[in-house]
Amino acid sequence: MKTREKILLALIIISLALLAVILSFGALGAVPLKTIRPLGSFYLYFMANNNIVIQEIYPSITKPSDFWAASTEGITAILWDYRGLDTLFETSVFFFAIIGSVSVFRYYSVSLEEKNKKNTNNSSTNTKTSGQGLSLIVKLITRINFVVIIAVSASIAFHGQLTPGGGFQGGATLAVAPLLAIAALSRYFVEDVGLKKNTMLTIRTLGLLIIGLLALTPLIMGFAGGNPYIMENQPKSWAMFIGFPSFGLGVLLGSLAFYNMAELLAVGAGFTVVFLLLTLPEEFFKKILSREVGKQ
Amino acid sequence: MFYLLHLIMLVLMMSIGFVFAFLAIMERDLLKAVVFSAGQAAAYVIVYYLLMSPDIVLAYAAIGVGIYSAVMIIAIKKTERYEKV
Repeated sequence: MKTREKILLALIIISLALLAVILSFGALGAVPLKTIRPLGSFYLYFMANNNIVIQEIYPSITKPSDFWAASTEGITAILWDYRGLDTLFETSVFFFAIIGSVSVFRYYSVSLEEKNKKNTNNSSTNTKTSGQGLSLIVKLITRINFVVIIAVSASIAFHGQLTPGGGFQGGATLAVAPLLAIAALSRYFVEDVGLKKNTMLTIRTLGLLIIGLLALTPLIMGFAGGNPYIMENQPKSWAMFIGFPSFGLGVLLGSLAFYNMAELLAVGAGFTVVFLLLTLPEEFFKKILSREVGKQ
Repeated sequence: MFYLLHLIMLVLMMSIGFVFAFLAIMERDLLKAVVFSAGQAAAYVIVYYLLMSPDIVLAYAAIGVGIYSAVMIIAIKKTERYEKV
């Protein structure tokens, strides 16, 4: 056994022992919990009910509609209603991260043109997509999976205010579909289908625009009075905004359903842009960038 | 009984994830290391499910197994497959 492996093994044993000591003192409490913590029970009582009055536990709450989020899913309710601004800024961090990666990969169109030129020179028949990617079996299965993954991601996101899931989870699942297609069918196939960089950027910006508009809707409607606040979901007694429709299609809706749809677009298209950029042929970039450095 | 089964599953999945993480660190062939890392993520998905956080499960399964592995494979393709000492 080499020294490196010995050190690693010793570190692992020490950290395991530490973790065991900490856990044996009850750091996590009982796992799994047999009771619900007070904060959790508050959200569970009020997020889906606007008419429940519990005098013995919450004597001060006489207007439960002030605390409801029109959602049966605690995580989504906290993410987009109770702590909505956190998620808004988190989404903008993701937005700016992708703007950064797009600006690093400039000369995108130039490099693709050069690649196409090279293809034309090499082969008399300029079919970009044929002869690329993995075997026929893999390609066929990927085509089937592509549709299935998109359906699953839609079900995760569009049901996010009722069952576990939400915009980010759905978007991350959605991004796996073009990723598989890039791996199995080549990125040129994906671009031929229509999942181009600029299209994806447009969809992503559209998603963020919808999120911003949804967040500002209460303020815009508040010019008529009522003193609403940003990202308000349901009407409160201190901020009389008319509220997003709480019931629609036979289920609870609120603003959360719309936020989830917009986040699905923003995250899914954002990840797809990154994959399209990362799988660019590198040699053209090197050539162009070395030319740029030589000029200076 | 059910409580005990729950804890045993939790410990088992944590251990499997731990072994995969160890293998991923020690492996010289980086492509294999990525596969081990995906195995670790798959074990942790079950751990998160047992700890009653289904939202984390959905995000972790997509990112840990799918997106992270793919980004790493792209990085390996553009650099080198075998780790030099």
